[in-house]
Amino acid sequence: MKKRLYIELENCIGCRSCLAACTQCGGHEERNRNYVYDVNPHVNRQTMPLMCLHCENPACARSCPAQAIQIHETGAVLSALVEKCIGCQNCTIACPYGIPKFDEEQNLMYKCDLCIDRTKDGIPPMCASVCPSNTLQWLTEEEIEQKQRRHDLDNDKWVTSMPYLEGATNVKVNLPGILQGTEKLF
Amino acid sequence: MQRDKFFKEIENVEHPNEKLIKTHCSYCGMQCGMNLRVNTATNKIIGVEPRYDWPVTVGKMCPKGVTAYQQTNHNDRILRPLIRDDASLKGTKEGFREASWEEAYDLIAEKFGELQQNYGKDSLSVFSGVSMTNEKCYLTGKFARVALGTRYIDYNGRFCMSSAAGGFLRSFGVDRGSTLPWTDIHETDCLFIAGSNTAECHPTSMFRIWNVQERGGYIIVVDPRETPIARRADLHLDLKPGTDLALANGIVHLLIEKGYADEEFIKQHTNGFEETKELVKQFTPEYTSYLTGVAPEKIERAAEIYGKAPNAVVMFARGIEQQHKGVDNVSGYTNMALVTGKIGRPKAGVATFTGQGNGQGGREHGQKSDLLPGYRKITNPQHVQEVCNVWGITPEEMPKAGVSAYEMFELMDQKEIRGLYLLCSNPAVSAPNLNFVRNAMKSLDFMVCADFYLSESAEFADVILPSVTWSEDEGTVTNIEGRIIKINKAQQPLGESKPDWQMQVELAERLGKGENFSHLKTAKDVAEEFRLASKGGSADYYGATWDKIEKQDGVFWPCKDEGDEGTPHMFLDKKFYHPDGKAQICALPYRPPAEEPCEEYPLRLTTGRVVYHYLSGNQTRRIQFLKDMCPEPYVEVHPETAGKYNMEHDERIRLYTRRGEAVYKVKVTEAIRKDTVFVPYHFGHEESINLLTIPALDPKSRMPEFKACAAQMEKLEPKKVL
Repeated sequence: MKKRLYIELENCIGCRSCLAACTQCGGHEERNRNYVYDVNPHVNRQTMPLMCLHCENPACARSCPAQAIQIHETGAVLSALVEKCIGCQNCTIACPYGIPKFDEEQNLMYKCDLCIDRTKDGIPPMCASVCPSNTLQWLTEEEIEQKQRRHDLDNDKWVTSMPYLEGATNVKVNLPGILQGTEKLF
Repeated sequence: MQRDKFFKEIENVEHPNEKLIKTHCSYCGMQCGMNLRVNTATNKIIGVEPRYDWPVTVGKMCPKGVTAYQQTNHNDRILRPLIRDDASLKGTKEGFREASWEEAYDLIAEKFGELQQNYGKDSLSVFSGVSMTNEKCYLTGKFARVALGTRYIDYNGRFCMSSAAGGFLRSFGVDRGSTLPWTDIHETDCLFIAGSNTAECHPTSMFRIWNVQERGGYIIVVDPRETPIARRADLHLDLKPGTDLALANGIVHLLIEKGYADEEFIKQHTNGFEETKELVKQFTPEYTSYLTGVAPEKIERAAEIYGKAPNAVVMFARGIEQQHKGVDNVSGYTNMALVTGKIGRPKAGVATFTGQGNGQGGREHGQKSDLLPGYRKITNPQHVQEVCNVWGITPEEMPKAGVSAYEMFELMDQKEIRGLYLLCSNPAVSAPNLNFVRNAMKSLDFMVCADFYLSESAEFADVILPSVTWSEDEGTVTNIEGRIIKINKAQQPLGESKPDWQMQVELAERLGKGENFSHLKTAKDVAEEFRLASKGGSADYYGATWDKIEKQDGVFWPCKDEGDEGTPHMFLDKKFYHPDGKAQICALPYRPPAEEPCEEYPLRLTTGRVVYHYLSGNQTRRIQFLKDMCPEPYVEVHPETAGKYNMEHDERIRLYTRRGEAVYKVKVTEAIRKDTVFVPYHFGHEESINLLTIPALDPKSRMPEFKACAAQMEKLEPKKVL
């Protein structure tokens, strides 16, 4: 059953466990490939992860003059092939979220590959495995549809972010507001 | 065992030339399950893999847990015993030379012998900790009383869990930190969480806690700061530090007045209701608001939500416990559950967030100045006899009760205590009023420190014994729920390091007490003796064999015999542990913090943790990722307050109290009360906030008031330009 990374932004507690765990994936050379931001640090403790969304038609790959960025059959947009990457950083500039990182010493780009050595076998990526708050989850299509139905309130105030992201993405995101419309038990 | 909706069957990734060792984290009471990755060629720990099949945390880990494995083969490990001959260098890292175990043991036996000959048995002391296995905690108590023969043993739980223990003993007659398993938490209807920065201190509780809200339940958070959990809570009661008891009394008053009291439960299963009802009457929402600074409407709403909830769990942590009325705060909030009868059934109860990995088990088996294994009292002759039978000594040989952790430093200062054996703790960072404590340690005639890194406290030692990390030994730990779990060995001890139990056995032999210790050759041997020593006590571990722990995914105490599966839920039969089987609802007069703000010190200083560090930071400050995320302490200040002092974000300022001072960077944030400043306590030397904190002790638990004292701050003099 195909599973996807699903992001519930409202749950983030800013612990950055996802960054620490990213280094533990076999193919990641102990360097993390994701981001967590303090949204408004002088005001409150809201934080949000910024992960590669693994676009279906990724700007990074399109912009790569060396065709170094491959798309895996699972849809994961892989890190640049070391032998092809020319270190031009087009990908970082092209990505609407600035995801690809750059190794100055090796003159190579590196990015999230959705822990391809795990996810190719249906095992959750490290970030979603450890996330203590369930901000990052590894869900089936069905589970994601359920979430989408639940959070699509159709009240003009708020709907899930999915239609508003740039293009279609393999990773699904839910903007803050999941509790809006939750019926209280009492 | 319990497999709830968060549990998923997931296979682990096993890389070539690696094996996975199932174990738990080294840090907090959550004791998250993890697999350590071990390289099969070098037999060294090289990484971590989630443990998806652990029912409590299902693979989840915080950043400390993910990087915990990096402690084991860290460059800072002490690999051989160290001796410092020049005592004038005490308080520094300088002057240590490597020595053999033989030389170190000889020196310790000689110096300890001299001190006891000249100044009596009680001139020695043991200061321990609970970030280690039950077996080690148990043996440390025996080592102090049988091998050293001193009354002075206490431990860092006095700075952590002792108020929770005192409060639970008074309310329930038994001290199990949680009356229900953590797998119940997401299924309750209301969580009332006081003084717990859960998202940072126990992050892997959060997926269950958020789920309460997603199901339509409520989260109420009591905290002077808008912590990450308070930010999303349904209700945030932003009280002044040190005023919890007033809030608890105010809510109990409303629960009674608005008809949420369960009269049948109160009548059948509790004592003390009428006195309490009378006492809390004065805590009207207005008066409670005056004392706590929380708006009256919020107090009323909190009582209404908690009162209406079919099931609710009252939870708390160091925020309410590290006060000079910590025990009263615990019983005060526990009153909410007892008055409404929301206890003694699944999905309802009371729980404290245990701070240290073995904060629960470590306090039950004889490291506390007045306790013996199985939660027995050293002042009870029957209890003493039971333990003597296991230890092979006579009741006359059993030392009397000693004093609490902070009070031991007072006795060092008075030269009543002249020697110290310190292990598993770093009081030179974690104790309050550090100028005094550090001087007391410096004044010792002879000090031994067992640690795997050279901690700030080890800087005061004459001899340092290299201990192992958690991953190089095996044994049991009792987690936040009261579940006894198994820590497994993943690697041989690095260098010449040894587990604490082995050092203590070998030292006991040097001290002529081999007959009581020499039979303990493995951790398992210690475990067998320990189970026997706990048998019949209120914390009975006799039935919790290692096999059963493995088979059942842990065993909740009490577990009295082989056939007993343990006790995940406490009080299901509504029988409490006081002699009459009833719980105690406590009438608790309010007392303000020991030191209230004044003209000279107008701010309230409170302290706590950040997600990236653990306790004194001796371990986590050495881990690169954690250090990068939080390299230094800071002081959180509300923008309005910062404006009054003309201070800017990131500016270095001087913060001071009647006891000490330090320089911190200002972190301007609206997520704190205007009258309060906050500093995390994980840092050493001149960065320690405990230079400023107050040693006002709770009369029952002897817990210092880390969470509230009066402070002032000022801008630094601009550097003079020559």
